[in-house]
Amino acid sequence: MTRVAITGIGIVSCFGGGKAVTLDALRNARSGIKRIESIDASALNCKIGGEVPRDAHEGLHRGNDRFTRFALIAADEAAEQANYANIGLGDDRVGSLIGTGLGGCETLDAGYKRVYGENLPRVAPATIAWSMYNAATSAVATKYRARGVAYAVVSACASSAHAIGLAYQAIKSGQADAVFAGGADAPLTFGIIRAWESMRVLAVDNEHPEAACRPFSADRKGLVLAEGAAVLFLESFDHATSRNQPILGEIAGFGATSDAGHVTDPSADGAARAMRMAINDAGVQPNDVGYINAHGTATRANDATETAAIKSVFGDRVPPVSSTKSMHGHSMGASGAIEIASSLLALNEGFLPPTINLDTPDPECDLDYVPHRPREAAASLFLSNSFGFGGMNAVIAVRTLLPQR
Amino acid sequence: MTRAEIEAKLIGIVRKEKDVPDDKLTPETTLVDAGIDSLDSLTILFGIEEEFGISIPDDRAKTIKTFGDMIDVVEALLPAAS
Repeated sequence: MTRVAITGIGIVSCFGGGKAVTLDALRNARSGIKRIESIDASALNCKIGGEVPRDAHEGLHRGNDRFTRFALIAADEAAEQANYANIGLGDDRVGSLIGTGLGGCETLDAGYKRVYGENLPRVAPATIAWSMYNAATSAVATKYRARGVAYAVVSACASSAHAIGLAYQAIKSGQADAVFAGGADAPLTFGIIRAWESMRVLAVDNEHPEAACRPFSADRKGLVLAEGAAVLFLESFDHATSRNQPILGEIAGFGATSDAGHVTDPSADGAARAMRMAINDAGVQPNDVGYINAHGTATRANDATETAAIKSVFGDRVPPVSSTKSMHGHSMGASGAIEIASSLLALNEGFLPPTINLDTPDPECDLDYVPHRPREAAASLFLSNSFGFGGMNAVIAVRTLLPQR
Repeated sequence: MTRAEIEAKLIGIVRKEKDVPDDKLTPETTLVDAGIDSLDSLTILFGIEEEFGISIPDDRAKTIKTFGDMIDVVEALLPAAS
């Protein structure tokens, strides 16, 4: 059976660009949520978000929508760490599977403003090419001449987790030997924020942005929109070993289910079945899971439902659970990849990333959520949960660098 | 507006989209030789329409092969009074 190694990690989020700033934020329990600066948010109710700092992206990969630029920045970092220049594979054996929830929001927003707002006859000619959902995966494939399996994966907030799961299956099945896998989203546009405001699920605390996102806390008010990308470079263990490439972790299992229920109300059953599927696929038992990175959006509905789902899978031996969204917000389709990357970085350094702002216990959320501060711990296997609107659930099981039990 | 003024503005519009070296920005250079692909060229025409306040019809746009052609099109479409 082909095993799937992670040999490169690239990440850009509201913490900034790269693994070092990400680890620093996680270790110091620091929020990246701030007042939005990249657009004029003065007319919006919600003026906060997890925005990628300007110095992490300005001038890079221009001639693309913002979400594609983030994907390329993350792919560059992953490719460099994975020593892609010396990959030693035929280019038709390398793939690109980049998920997104919303695609080229910046491009569409600018186009609609011209068409409906200003009654102008023409929009930027690249509007179609930049806004399409596969723009990011295509740009990554083109830059790295990955001529094998490539398509965009779209399942709302589970998109990049599904992309990583599908990349793992592509390598396991022999469809590819290596894949750039992850996700990107850049939803902090005027129109998209308005749409989320209308759903009444945003935590609007414009005076205290860093305290707005409060997963599992009884006083949680909703999610905080964010942007960014993470890309993992995945390759078969055999290939990584044959070229002496250091292995950072392993994608060990993938679970994917549908609620076939309500479009926005999550189901504990769908989430629990996805977790069980990932655990079975990894060939382990629930007891082997040392940490769960929760979907943990900080909405009323998600956090209680996800807690119930975790309890139904793990019974009375639930491992520590945390929501790093408390610090980096909800970057839509990019969030699964950002969370898998963040969890792996932290666990490989020997600590569990915390859930910040968990100030008020909620009787419906009664697990160990690693509140406030990171915790030294050794976990050799973790789950990362991602649940998207439309009842799309993806769970990835990841082995860390620590010795296996 | 003189031909030279049009050319100077055109160079600015092109440079916003693409880094083209000076020796590739002459009226005789074809867009292909300057490394400008079909999508770049559409974006440059879009910039020209915005900058000069003109509308370049599709059949006219399809005849453009060089920077000189671009100048011709702009010159022909600009209101005579200017």
